[in-house]
Amino acid sequence: MAELHIIGQIVGASGFPQNSLFCKWGIHTGGAWRLLSGLKEGQTQVDLPSTGDMAYWSHPIDIHYTTKGLQGWPKLHLQVWHQDSFGRCELYGYGYCHVPSSPGHHHVSCVTWRPLGSWQEQIAQTFVGGGPQLRSPDLIYSGADRYRLHTVAMGTVELELGIIMRHFDRYGVES
Amino acid sequence: MASSSDLREKLRKKRRALQHSLQVKDDVDADTQALVPTDRSQSKETAQRDMEELTAGEEEPGDTLRRNLKAQRLRRRRKLEEASVDDKSMVEPFHETVGEVTAVQQISQSDEKPVEPCVVSSPAQSQRGDLPPRPQAKPVPGSSHSESSTMRQRMKDKLKAARSKAESLLQQEASQDGPASRLQSLKDRHTLTRFDRETDADLRGGGDDHPSSLNVKVKFREAVRRVRVDSKSEMGLPTAEEAYNFFTFDFDPEPDEETRKGQKRRTRPEGENEEGEDGGDDDEEKEEEDKEEVTEVDREHQGEDEERDDNAPLMRDEEEELFLIDQSADDFLVFKRAEYMGYQRRLQSENELLFTPSFLTVPASSKVPENMKPRYLEEEGLYVGERPPMSLTNQNILENRILKQEQGRKWFGDDGRIMALPDPIKESSTRPPLFHIEDDLDPALQTVYRKALVSKHASQYISVGGETNGDYQLDVDVSGLIFSHHPLFSQEHVLGSRLVQLYDQHLSRQHRNLTEHLTTKLNGLRNTIGNMLEVHGGQRLTPVMQQRISEYKQEVRNTRRLRDLEQEKDRTLLKGIVKIWKEIKALRDFQRFTNTPYKLYLRREEVERASDVREYEAEIQAEVDELLDEMEEDYQRKVTEYRRQQEEWKVWRRKQRAKNKKKKKTQSQLDDNEDDEDNDDDDRTDGEAEPGPPKPKPPEEPDMEGVEKQVSEKASRIRRKPGEPILVPELTASGPITPNEQCPRGEFARREDVAKRSIFIKVLYNDKEVSRTDNRSLNSDFRVHFGQIFNLKIVNWPESIKLQVFEVLGLSTTLLADVFVPVPESSILTGSAPSEELVFSSNLRVMFDHEAVGSDVPFSFEVDGSNRQTLLTSGKLSCSVSWAVGEDDVPLAPPTTQPKPMYSGLKQLDAIASIGASGLNDMKKLGEWATESRLDPNDPNNADIMQLLKVASSGEVTAPDYFRLEQLQEEFNFVSEEDLEQSRRFRLLRLRNQEVAEFRNYKFVPAMEREVTDKVFEEYERRLKEGEIVDTKGHLDAHRALVAKHLHKIRESIINRFLIAKHHFIMSDLVQEEQVPTIGILGLNLFKLAEPKRPLKPQRKERKKVTAQNLSDGDIRLLLNIIRAYDIPVRKPSVNKPAVTSKSTRSFTETLTAGQSQRATQGSDWLLNQVQVRPFVEVSFQRSVLQTTTADGPNPCWNEDLQLPFSAPNGDYSTANLQSMKDEIFINIFDEVQYELGGDGEDRGKEVHTRLEKHWLGSVKIPFSTIYFQSRIDGTFKVDTPPVLLGYSKERSLASDGGYDAVRSLTEGAFITLFITIEPQLVPGETIREKFESQESEGLLLASEVFERDAAVHFPDRPCLTTVININGKTVFITRYLRPLNPPQELLDAFPNSPQEATDLIARYVSLIPSLPDSVSFAGVCDLWSTCDQFLTLLAGDEEEHAVLLCNYFLSMGKKAWLIIGTAIPEGPTTYVLTYEQNRYLIWNPSSGQYYGQYDTFCPLQTVGCLVSADNVWLNTQAYTSPLRIRFDVTKAKLWKPFFSRAFPNPGLSSVQPEELVYRHTDQAAAAELQDRIEKILKEKIMEWRPRNPTRWNRYCTSTLRHFLPKLELSRGRDVADEHRLELQSLLGDYRISGFPLHLPFSEVRPIVEAVYSTGVHNVEASNVEFALAVHVHAYPNNVLSVWVYLASLIRMR
Repeated sequence: MAELHIIGQIVGASGFPQNSLFCKWGIHTGGAWRLLSGLKEGQTQVDLPSTGDMAYWSHPIDIHYTTKGLQGWPKLHLQVWHQDSFGRCELYGYGYCHVPSSPGHHHVSCVTWRPLGSWQEQIAQTFVGGGPQLRSPDLIYSGADRYRLHTVAMGTVELELGIIMRHFDRYGVES
Repeated sequence: MASSSDLREKLRKKRRALQHSLQVKDDVDADTQALVPTDRSQSKETAQRDMEELTAGEEEPGDTLRRNLKAQRLRRRRKLEEASVDDKSMVEPFHETVGEVTAVQQISQSDEKPVEPCVVSSPAQSQRGDLPPRPQAKPVPGSSHSESSTMRQRMKDKLKAARSKAESLLQQEASQDGPASRLQSLKDRHTLTRFDRETDADLRGGGDDHPSSLNVKVKFREAVRRVRVDSKSEMGLPTAEEAYNFFTFDFDPEPDEETRKGQKRRTRPEGENEEGEDGGDDDEEKEEEDKEEVTEVDREHQGEDEERDDNAPLMRDEEEELFLIDQSADDFLVFKRAEYMGYQRRLQSENELLFTPSFLTVPASSKVPENMKPRYLEEEGLYVGERPPMSLTNQNILENRILKQEQGRKWFGDDGRIMALPDPIKESSTRPPLFHIEDDLDPALQTVYRKALVSKHASQYISVGGETNGDYQLDVDVSGLIFSHHPLFSQEHVLGSRLVQLYDQHLSRQHRNLTEHLTTKLNGLRNTIGNMLEVHGGQRLTPVMQQRISEYKQEVRNTRRLRDLEQEKDRTLLKGIVKIWKEIKALRDFQRFTNTPYKLYLRREEVERASDVREYEAEIQAEVDELLDEMEEDYQRKVTEYRRQQEEWKVWRRKQRAKNKKKKKTQSQLDDNEDDEDNDDDDRTDGEAEPGPPKPKPPEEPDMEGVEKQVSEKASRIRRKPGEPILVPELTASGPITPNEQCPRGEFARREDVAKRSIFIKVLYNDKEVSRTDNRSLNSDFRVHFGQIFNLKIVNWPESIKLQVFEVLGLSTTLLADVFVPVPESSILTGSAPSEELVFSSNLRVMFDHEAVGSDVPFSFEVDGSNRQTLLTSGKLSCSVSWAVGEDDVPLAPPTTQPKPMYSGLKQLDAIASIGASGLNDMKKLGEWATESRLDPNDPNNADIMQLLKVASSGEVTAPDYFRLEQLQEEFNFVSEEDLEQSRRFRLLRLRNQEVAEFRNYKFVPAMEREVTDKVFEEYERRLKEGEIVDTKGHLDAHRALVAKHLHKIRESIINRFLIAKHHFIMSDLVQEEQVPTIGILGLNLFKLAEPKRPLKPQRKERKKVTAQNLSDGDIRLLLNIIRAYDIPVRKPSVNKPAVTSKSTRSFTETLTAGQSQRATQGSDWLLNQVQVRPFVEVSFQRSVLQTTTADGPNPCWNEDLQLPFSAPNGDYSTANLQSMKDEIFINIFDEVQYELGGDGEDRGKEVHTRLEKHWLGSVKIPFSTIYFQSRIDGTFKVDTPPVLLGYSKERSLASDGGYDAVRSLTEGAFITLFITIEPQLVPGETIREKFESQESEGLLLASEVFERDAAVHFPDRPCLTTVININGKTVFITRYLRPLNPPQELLDAFPNSPQEATDLIARYVSLIPSLPDSVSFAGVCDLWSTCDQFLTLLAGDEEEHAVLLCNYFLSMGKKAWLIIGTAIPEGPTTYVLTYEQNRYLIWNPSSGQYYGQYDTFCPLQTVGCLVSADNVWLNTQAYTSPLRIRFDVTKAKLWKPFFSRAFPNPGLSSVQPEELVYRHTDQAAAAELQDRIEKILKEKIMEWRPRNPTRWNRYCTSTLRHFLPKLELSRGRDVADEHRLELQSLLGDYRISGFPLHLPFSEVRPIVEAVYSTGVHNVEASNVEFALAVHVHAYPNNVLSVWVYLASLIRMR
């Protein structure tokens, strides 16, 4: 029975307009996957870097999956949030990336985007914060016709993931 | 000015000189070339060469080739150079070389420059040391050449001479070192030429070049110096002034012409050089093409070299010029016209070079291959795409150009046109335009604008859901308040408010109109019954009908009773109203003014007398009939019952008789004819033997007559008399109030006072004031209307909402009352929330000197002052608190349930997530989901769902009864679901992740499936399976087994609760922040610096605390310091002779005399045998055993440190695990006894064999958890010694023989002083903060929180407890646990005359209930308090339960008793009982049954935190906490702070304890059975522990012991020891006996076995040892069992 360990960390994020950020993350898998241990979603702390653009979280991820089949390989979805000086939180970006499917250490950068919203909303956002959010955040990784959504590119989230695969070769999956 | 001839002359001269110099230069050039490699561009070249060098190894052949070429070229060049001197007219302008020439010119010009300034004015150069020519150059300037030419002439001559001299010198020098090198260079030139030198120089490094070039310079300078010296000697030095002028004079530039000429002359040869070379090279151009650049560069460098290296000759030239002629550098320059090629010429030349394709159409013939015609595919019907548009001209040009190319034709297609792809640009955009319309957008794509929100609930428990983290808003509506009593009430007001109350009650009753309702119901029921009976007439009723009728009748009875009750209430209420109204009227008359506007009208409704009477009568009649019916029925039933019973009885009697007869027959034939009496007699005796049914009594006839009377009496009491008008009271507030002026002074003052007051209300949310209402003045009717609504936007979870009523008088405000408003449910929303009336009251004592009645002041309505009453300020506050509703009708209430998962939106797209996997089989659900989530029917992903739905809805085709979302999944699956489920490893992993108890701390899960055995799960599965099955085997007692199971379940559920609670983190759990030092601390530290150093006074250093995470086995040790012991029992010499003292002398024994007599008897041995006892201490903990050395005497002092290793179970050092450790430290005191063995045979007398035996004297048990929580234990503990120790007696010190004894009378026994700690110190875990739900009122909980917090702040070391958690996990106020409860009657009966004895017995009874600390089982979570009945059912509990039970017993016995919440050794925080009897306080340890006087130094209680009685809690506010030093008088407010005080009175909390305890009678037979079983088990165990030696049992001794044990139980282990010993010794004189009885409360067998094992009696190794074991179980009521085990070893003396 094939097992997959995902051990790593969400290192941090850079390239966002502001750098006091935190991140909500989760791992989405298909129906064939079973969580054996570990937390499959969470939230990082808020990092307020005094220098530099990059916010560091170093948030650990340690998940152990087993699977019946390959379908629905785990995807990591992220939401980057910004906490402003008043302690208010606003969404800064959605993003998702596939968990690497080859064993070893991987450096993954996940680019993020955020809905743009109408011009009124944009103006409101400039002055009072907040911003448009998706009604259904699973759109991040489901492929509905997303082109109709106006989005802005935001920064990237850096991840370091170590993948350990076990017994995949028994089922003819070469890694 | 010099004439032209002069000039020409000069020029000629100059030329000559130049030529001369050139020759010289050439020499030097060659010389320097040979000597010095290129210098200035050295770095460039070296870089280049480095590169070459790197590749040199590989490119050896190429290199050599190049070298050869260079050598050749050099040779050639030299030749050319030589030739070029003569050959001047070789000018052949080549196109390519023109540029080069100019380049060379530039270089030469630029190179010239440094020379020029030297001549003209170059202070920089001039500063370079002592360059000679300068001072002499003074006359040089051209402006002054009008000076004497003679001088110049002279100078010229001189210079010439000097120059020739210098030349010769140079030549000499050159010949000195030059020839060698030149020779060498000449020699080398053939093969290696310069290249060799280059590399050479390379190797030497760039730095080395300079010296060589410097050498030249130096040489030159020397030469110059010589010249100068010469000239100086001849000419004399220039004056300082001249020198100054030279440096500062502004020289005019020299005429250009000369320079130009000079330049020309200078450059030409070089240019010729180049050209010549080029010309020469012409034939070899091809070969050297690639090298051209290199050579050129080389040459340039060379040129530079020449300039540099030629410095010397040039300078010489200059000098020459400087001194000889009036020439300047301009002589060498040439002015040239700008190069320009005429336009036409250029066009011409360009034409030759460039190709311009024509833009004429190319004839088709040239485009297609020859002899072919263009072929048009389009005409042949083939599709040809449209070409991209292109202008014809461009196309033509392109075609023309292509045709010129080689193979240009291949670009043309068959049709003779350039091949082209069809136009790729589409006509219209294929991407649909973006219409950003919200409605049109896929619902999944829609965005919501969310405001930036503060995540405010981080620390509170309001959960931040992904979607719902909006605002929460509470609306607090304070509408007003009404005082039901106010200090300023006048007497009339008091009555008035009462009237209003009653009237309100009346109105509400009328509104509900229960009486009417019940009456109609009653009538209805009666009618139905009547109808039913009527319909069926005389027919026989079916059983169903009968059943129904009887039910109806029952109903009628109930309804009637209720109606009667209601009617009575109505009537009394009415009466009350009328009475009060009358009182008011009387009062108004009396005081002659009115204060209240109340007016009561009694409206009469006349009724028709006749019908009323009829109704009344009918009603009574109906009731009477019913009653009679019922009675009749009842009677009938009883009669039938009676008959049945009688029948039974008769049958039984007959049977009995028959039996008797049979018996008689068998007994004897004689008694055949027995009379009835005899028979009866027998009958009776038999009946007594086996009781039969008693003889029934016939029922009484009902009293029919009394019924009517009763009914009419009742009717007259509760009902209106017939004909009496119906009175309807109406209260109005319209009456006139006497104006102020007409009132007497007292009343006037009161009214004035009222007018001065005003009221406002503060709204406090979570104890913080959030807003307050306006001040509203108090009216004469004492109603205040606010009508204000406060919208509270809340951030924190609402804990309490409080309204404070304040009264303002002038500037002072007083708090009247706190009103707690319950936090509304989240379903209570604004608009729908009802206004609540909350009653408040205050116990402020207010007195006035005017008419007002005041508050908490007794007053009376009567004139004579009788019937006094006291009223407290009270009132009703009407307000409502509700959650606000947001704009879009969303309630702004925090969610009550757990937040949804982060991505709940996922559910919309994933069917399984949305409706659950099981829902997939349900077509309807699936359909609902499909419509709800607006699935796109055209999406191929959804095709199968859609089809399925269609099929299902049409209903024609039977849909498959399964449905798969990922239909191809199955094929690709690696394994099936079952395999996955069966994997043991995965199961283990998952269980561990779920924190299932068995696997919670499982560290390593094996990597291989086969390594995970099924055994791992056995326990878990068994637990799952055996949830209900009770295993009675391990417990010997079915009841206890059940209890254990129950306890286990409770524990389980509570642990689960706390596991969940443990995952709630707060900030301080995660972030550890060092306290920023404040000024105060800093200041203190500064003062410390100034403190005098006191090296001899050691300071205590705080030990470092270690958090439990990073520990491993072996890191932790347990340190024990065993200091000393007191009063250890001493050995008695083995008495060979029977005791001298007879029993009679002992009848008045006290231990004192016993001791003396003992000593007297031992007299002879005493001197010989000094050692009374040799005790040592053995400590065992977690299987490791350590012991001290042996000390002497009954008061030994060891002072030894023992270190025990500590390891946590499973290696898990987490706080939770450490807290739940159940290990105990056993500290056993043994006596080391030496026995001499007779040597065998011949050795006798020579050798002495001794055997050491250890005899158990006593033990102390300390649970590890205690040490863990307290981090150290230090003190003197009482050693548990058995009541009887065979062979030992209590040695009492002489001091205790004296009068001091009285003080210590209560503390007999041995003591041991210990110090225990853990190294390193572990940080005990904090108790878990979880709010438990509670049924206590909000105010009480808040008050208790405040009380406890205050206590913690002011007295941090005093445990304070006001609320506890009951067994259901709810918070309960502590006083509810205390209530007098009856102890078992038989215990009270045991000592009817001696209350003291009875008290002891009861304490003993309580202590016999086994103790089970819950802090161990519940992982340090909290104490759970069970009520006494629960405690007695569970038969296990903590100290608290013992204490509560004991306290309740004492209370019921009429003692004054309190609970003490404090700390004790070794339990830690615990609960004791305090009683007050005979003017002294006694402290009871409930779990041991012992009591101590208040001033007992050995009392284990160390700290008294608070006292609890049934109605209050007092906190110890005295300076000390030790019971020795405090006073227990709780009435002293200074010493004890009460919880309930005048400010916060006890609301009358009801007890949680039952009314009365019911005790089960003890089953003596079961006890006996248990006794046998324990004895058997113990005997088996002892034999098991002695595998090597045979175990013999001394039956005789055993039976003696067995007889002795009950006595011990009766006397509770006291005062029998000596008698018993004597008895034993007389019986078994020949044996040396050591043994003792153990006493334990019974819970399970295991602890008993452990206790026996720990005494080590079985360890006796002597061959002739025998054992005796007796067990006695004494049963107390309610299955409380006291177990005695008597264990002795006997060794035959001879």
